[in-house]
Amino acid sequence: MNDRRAQLLWFWLFAGPALAGFALFSLWPMLYSFWLSFCQYDVVAPPRFIGLRNYSYLLMDDPAFWPSIKVTLVFTAVQMPLAVAAALGVALLLNQPVQARGFWRAVYFLPSILPQAASVAVFVYIFQADGGLLNRLLALAGITGPAWTSSPVWALPVLIVISLWGFGYPMVIFLGGLQTVPRELHEAAHIDGAGAWARFRHITLPLISPVLFFNIVMGVIGALKVFDLAYAFGAAQGLIPGGPARATLFYGLNLYQQAFTYFHMGLASAMAWLLFAVIVVITWLNFRLSRRWVHYGD
Amino acid sequence: MEHHRPRHLTAVLLAVLALGACLMVLPLVWMLLTSLKTFPEILRNPPAWLPAVPRWENYRTVWEGFAYYRFFLNSVFVAVMVIAGTVLTCCPAAYAFAYYEVKHKELLFAALLSTLMLPAQVTVIPLFKAYAAMGWVNTYLPLVVPAWLGGNVFGIFLLRQFFRTIPKSFIEAARLDGASEWTILWRLIVPMSLPAVMTVVLFTFLWSWNDLFNPLVYLHNEATYTLPVGLLYFIARAEQLTGGSAGLVPWHLVMALATVMVLPVIILFVAAQRRFVEGVTASGVKG
Amino acid sequence: MLSQIRALLLWLAALALVVTGFWWAGHSREPEMQAGRKVITWMLHISPLRDLYEQQVAEFERLHPDIAVRLIWVPESEYHMKFKTLAAAGQTPDMFYSGDVWLSYLRPFMADLTPLVARDAAEIGLEDYFPEIRAAMQHEGHYFVLPESMNISLLYFNRRLFREAGVEAPTADWTWDDLVRAGQRLTRPASGDRPGVWGCSRMAGWWGEWLIFVRQAGGTVFTPDGRRCALDSPAAITGLRFYLEKSSKYGISAPAGFEPLNGFVNERVAMIMGGHINFWLNYNAVPGLDWDVQMLPAGPAGRRGGEVAFAGYALSKTTRRREAAWELMKFLTRPAVTAAIVARGGTSVRRSIAETEMHDPKRQGRPQNLAAVYRQLEFSLPIPRHPNFLEIMLQVVQPEVDRMVLGELTPEEAGRRAAAAVNAFLDTFDPQAR
Repeated sequence: MNDRRAQLLWFWLFAGPALAGFALFSLWPMLYSFWLSFCQYDVVAPPRFIGLRNYSYLLMDDPAFWPSIKVTLVFTAVQMPLAVAAALGVALLLNQPVQARGFWRAVYFLPSILPQAASVAVFVYIFQADGGLLNRLLALAGITGPAWTSSPVWALPVLIVISLWGFGYPMVIFLGGLQTVPRELHEAAHIDGAGAWARFRHITLPLISPVLFFNIVMGVIGALKVFDLAYAFGAAQGLIPGGPARATLFYGLNLYQQAFTYFHMGLASAMAWLLFAVIVVITWLNFRLSRRWVHYGD
Repeated sequence: MEHHRPRHLTAVLLAVLALGACLMVLPLVWMLLTSLKTFPEILRNPPAWLPAVPRWENYRTVWEGFAYYRFFLNSVFVAVMVIAGTVLTCCPAAYAFAYYEVKHKELLFAALLSTLMLPAQVTVIPLFKAYAAMGWVNTYLPLVVPAWLGGNVFGIFLLRQFFRTIPKSFIEAARLDGASEWTILWRLIVPMSLPAVMTVVLFTFLWSWNDLFNPLVYLHNEATYTLPVGLLYFIARAEQLTGGSAGLVPWHLVMALATVMVLPVIILFVAAQRRFVEGVTASGVKG
Repeated sequence: MLSQIRALLLWLAALALVVTGFWWAGHSREPEMQAGRKVITWMLHISPLRDLYEQQVAEFERLHPDIAVRLIWVPESEYHMKFKTLAAAGQTPDMFYSGDVWLSYLRPFMADLTPLVARDAAEIGLEDYFPEIRAAMQHEGHYFVLPESMNISLLYFNRRLFREAGVEAPTADWTWDDLVRAGQRLTRPASGDRPGVWGCSRMAGWWGEWLIFVRQAGGTVFTPDGRRCALDSPAAITGLRFYLEKSSKYGISAPAGFEPLNGFVNERVAMIMGGHINFWLNYNAVPGLDWDVQMLPAGPAGRRGGEVAFAGYALSKTTRRREAAWELMKFLTRPAVTAAIVARGGTSVRRSIAETEMHDPKRQGRPQNLAAVYRQLEFSLPIPRHPNFLEIMLQVVQPEVDRMVLGELTPEEAGRRAAAAVNAFLDTFDPQAR
């Protein structure tokens, strides 16, 4: 097997399907949707070239485009820090010597792998205005809760709460990172009289910074991709997803609706490319910034 | 350090953990309780906390009465096909990327990995157009075929990481014995990497089982729905199911269906918690 | 040797499994023929009439042993999406639901029914349909739809709540002022165990209610040529303002986000402006709900303005089962079915059945005041025929109206922003505008 030609043959035999899949299901659609983004295309008539009109409509005229960006940004700015903080907090607790660690970890992690269609349905019922669990509990305290899910003010916070239920995923990643922090370092610092916060700030945090960085990047990209959550939220109420009053119209959902509800495939392709560009920029930016403060320990 | 810790601190720690855990479990408990109630118990305002008598018939109603076993079987079928394709194409791909020295290998791998960042919405429009042209809409092929072409890039990544920990000398020895590459992969490497393969299988199952986006785009026929689409469809149908009481959703049945959908995931998780945790941890460790 | 055979067999078995798997994954679930019978597909949205349809289809199949009918049920909010997806995939259903809202949107997929209607005019009883309906079935003189039922905007009210508040039941000569006065007397806060009541509902997220006010104030959605939006006209803004001030000024409707769930059914809302006739079935299923209807109160520009929208069946342009599907369409719109729908709580698009029902002295069901329904028909306006009407109303206009209700926009701003957004939309997507 030192024969280079034989290696090459086997390489393509083994990796060929995956690379073909990459070309067919990622590369080609990307390039084709770039072309479509300059077309008007409603799936019935063939695509028709219209130049930059899709982009100009999106940026200047589309009444849904900027609101959907706002929803996505607000969600990212609130949900991601909360999820990362909760994940880190619980991971730190679980990293302490505590009985039945596996059990606790399981309880906190489990919700993050459940199907979102199901968990959203459960939460929509909990947050329901009349007879929902939450408003019942509030009523016990003498508070009349609003119609959480149909209020434009509350719908997005409710979605943030639902998605926070799934913070177990980054938590387990943090836990993995924390377990690589050598205990001796802590013991030594403890003996030197460093307090808990100082130990966290100067030992734990630098050592888990790659993991923290990873979770932040994934959190941001995850927020840009949100679809299941918002779609199920609307559908579980028998409404057109995105409402009320565009309060839950995430970018990914808006794109889907432009494409598959209203069949503005060209416009949606333009949105897809803008999203792609943003993800590339964010990833690049994050890696640039990470050099300043992430400590990779090698 | 344990011996330094004052007793009351441990108690506080446990209390905080338990309180948080209650919050995490509460929605699931409410789901289960609701699924065992009767419709009048749901309709009462405010509804009952606990079912007077647990009504297990709700599950039968959902399962048989509304033929939800079909959605369940559809989901199982898609998951099995996707898992089979993933294992069959990801293992060789991971092997190739782990052991062969080929020009531009790292570049190809980086390209492959970059698709992890790519949201499904970005590629779906051309794919839909192509599938529609081939008559694949309303079949499972759009969900299954990508998996047979190494669609699970995370799986390739994970397996490659694991394969790399196997000393090359094993492979060299097998090659000297005249074993073909194919045999080495399936007879030697994969059996040695069973934990990693299991992790990939479990995560592939999760993605297929939980997927809402693709079935929503490609399946438009009640007979083909998978569980996530079926659940939302059930809610949309609710009015006519309940004899048309203006917008009153039979939440007890919806929750029974949600339980049916969630249960396989919980069972798998309980059975193989370690695999899940390893898989997640691996995704956070830089390759 | 033996082990090699076993290995071979195993491989073959695995291969067979995979092939079967792919066959199952890829096989079409829309067979052309089923047990020697022609299959016609009928796409319709989920409705409480499901059992009636299934019963009718069974009867039809009994009478036509060579035809099998497959129903494709779709949630109403996803109807146009599912339809176009199937059309794009070359699987247009042979027969599908259509009506005012859909007609312009779906017309590229519809067969021209004019020759069939002319041939079978007597059989389908063309002359029996209300003239408004007969006009609505056509586009530029060609028939495209056979009608099944219609919706007319009405004033719905709860008799018990009116009695309790000591308010006279609405009369046909009511105006907006009467609506407000009665609404204020009907509205009461919650006290103790007694839940609060709102005088009038406000239909959120849909044009059903605010469009009435806009049109009764003399406004329209589009300019007469259909190429510009006219929601920024002073008349339209008057209508939008009344929609807003029902809660913000007069306090007869709940503020945004506090509308009671199923308020009318749960007797927490005394009146509905507009409503939908499809809900009659639901209202009648609620024991003890004492409800009735009246003609809409008149606005500053008159009474005219509520919508009339019919729903019915269309035939696919590309169907290979043209005659079979046409048979089914005729079967489903025959007077007996109309009567069955009316008996369960619905309206008749046929004059003969409407009159029989109205003059039936033994009639018990609700609403009592059927005369108001058919008189309101004369003051009703059709929904604007625009291919993108649904998208424009739900996606472009509605969010601005919602923001107005939230207090973020004044009615002037909402009308102006909605009109600007619609005009930009028309410039970009409207095939007519090019």
